[in-house]
Amino acid sequence: MTDELRLAVERRGQDGAILHTKGYINNVGGEEIATRAYELMDQGVRTLLLDLRETKIVNSIGISILIEIIEKAIERNGRVAFCCLTPVIYKTFHIMGLANYAKIFDSEESAIAELGLAA
Amino acid sequence: MLRLSNFISDLQHLERAAQGSHAPLILEAFARNTPFGIGAVYLRDAGGLRLAAKSDLCFAPELLEIELPAEPTSDFFLPLEPRPRVVLPIRAHRDTTGLVALSSEVELGEDDLQLAFVAASYLNAFLTNQRLMLEMREGDFQLKSRLLELESLYDIGLSIAATLNVDELADEVLFRMISLTNAGRAALFLRDGDQFKLYRAFNDFPPLDDELAARLMSSPDAVTLDGGLVVMLPIKGNNATIGVLAAADRETREGVGTFEPNEMRLLSLFANQVAIALENARLHRDALEKQAMQRELDLAATIQRDILPKSIPNVEGLPIKSFSCPAKQVGGDYHAFFERDEVVTLLVADVSGKSMPAALLVSALHAAVQLLFAEERELGDVATELNKHIHRWSAENKFVTLAMVSIDREQETIEFVNAGHNPQYIVCDGVIETLKSHGLPVGILPNSRYMTQRRPFPKGSFVVLYSDGITEAENVAGDEFENDRLEAVLRENIDAAPAVICDRIAAAVESFASGAPQKDDQTIVVARFVSEHK
Repeated sequence: MTDELRLAVERRGQDGAILHTKGYINNVGGEEIATRAYELMDQGVRTLLLDLRETKIVNSIGISILIEIIEKAIERNGRVAFCCLTPVIYKTFHIMGLANYAKIFDSEESAIAELGLAA
Repeated sequence: MLRLSNFISDLQHLERAAQGSHAPLILEAFARNTPFGIGAVYLRDAGGLRLAAKSDLCFAPELLEIELPAEPTSDFFLPLEPRPRVVLPIRAHRDTTGLVALSSEVELGEDDLQLAFVAASYLNAFLTNQRLMLEMREGDFQLKSRLLELESLYDIGLSIAATLNVDELADEVLFRMISLTNAGRAALFLRDGDQFKLYRAFNDFPPLDDELAARLMSSPDAVTLDGGLVVMLPIKGNNATIGVLAAADRETREGVGTFEPNEMRLLSLFANQVAIALENARLHRDALEKQAMQRELDLAATIQRDILPKSIPNVEGLPIKSFSCPAKQVGGDYHAFFERDEVVTLLVADVSGKSMPAALLVSALHAAVQLLFAEERELGDVATELNKHIHRWSAENKFVTLAMVSIDREQETIEFVNAGHNPQYIVCDGVIETLKSHGLPVGILPNSRYMTQRRPFPKGSFVVLYSDGITEAENVAGDEFENDRLEAVLRENIDAAPAVICDRIAAAVESFASGAPQKDDQTIVVARFVSEHK
């Protein structure tokens, strides 16, 4: 198995975006996500949904980078949410405290509906 | 006061700024809110005090090789131009991390110096708070990470209890190991003879060479390679190393590094978990194999039960009784009866080996014997043909000992062949005689020939055929039943019916063994010539 991170960005309305990840969220993968997330924030995105359905592993550096992204979004009066987590990642996010600052949804549909991410 | 509150407000920007832009922000805060418009900031690194920021009008060397002042001072020489009027050490918690050197183009009074000192103490208090906050966050993160490790080990324990699928468990263990230790690569190797073969890998992992494999076989502890970048953990089964769990290229924010002691402990715990999973899977596999083998044995036993005569020929004037008791579920003893005109033939054979291979040979023997007797061949010819057949079609070390006795009541004679079998008995006129072997067991040499032997067999005589499971039956002391005890039973029952003789022999053997395990199949066939055919 190899699991390099791939990213796809889906803009939703004026101030929303979905980042679809595929692969390992480690230092390199986390930095890639952060770079894209900060670009989107600079472009006015305030609601960022990370769809992790095709990510099986997140290491501790990846988690710390995700926390930084959440903090940066909050500083800018924005918000970050996650959806479609594997059970292991779901538990990891709860234990590591990400769930305290970012909403977690079972499905992308429910996340889009609740976050008001218009197409 | 207004200036100081603005100074503190400017320092707030440090919270959100990247570490690299702290020095310019500090300098800017002093320039905006104090009369000190010129200056430089030095921060400590591995090489000493390195210039981190300076104002345009300040000339400052890149590196300073000085002892930092303990307190803010207006009397400290630094090789900067213009000469600093105040030098303010930067402190975060207990560490002095650099200095701010400030001067001014305007005339400065004592109040201005005091203002700079107070501002410096605010700066240090701010940086200390920030450091403590970072340490607290780091501590909180580490605590949560330890909790996550414990939860992961617990979850893997549950998974091991819930599934015996090694593929799934290997993936789960590798994924969790990677995520918890930040390993860039990981692999599970399983033992195959003296080698370890790659079973699962995350990112490329090279095969283990013979030298490393030998080292891992004998090492009780982790083996590290490439200066600690690669860790190999032997997975210990009950008595041997059954695999290797490997992790490499631990990620850090700066690149790759060696594994920390707590990560090594964690890897070791994962190796223990994998050992349990592999042992469970092996035990389950063994149990399934045993079940399959048992099913095969049951089937073979059924086949062999069908091969052995379901009934004894009911020949008037020639009562016959047989006894068969296999040592294992499938045995190597065989007996058969053939009846032609006035002649009844009894056959007892013992195939070398036990269990399934012996059963297969018994099947082959049965088929061949049935065909040969259907062709109405005489006994020597049957044995000679059987020898060819068994030699050609059975494994090299397989053979059959065989005793055949044909009783001709009209001629009052017996014909017999004993091919490597124990001496069999005939009892005529109260005298016990033996029918000794006069040839090799069938199947040993390709061209063995067997000649039919003849003896008188007057009315009242009886014949006793048996396998070595009778005379070699052991008691708990390891003593064998032997022929003397068998002959004693014959003497004691010399006038008895075949059923009685047969039962008494079997009972004597059982009594002698006294519960000792039966090691070999036991067969007895007894026939007495009572009267000629009417």
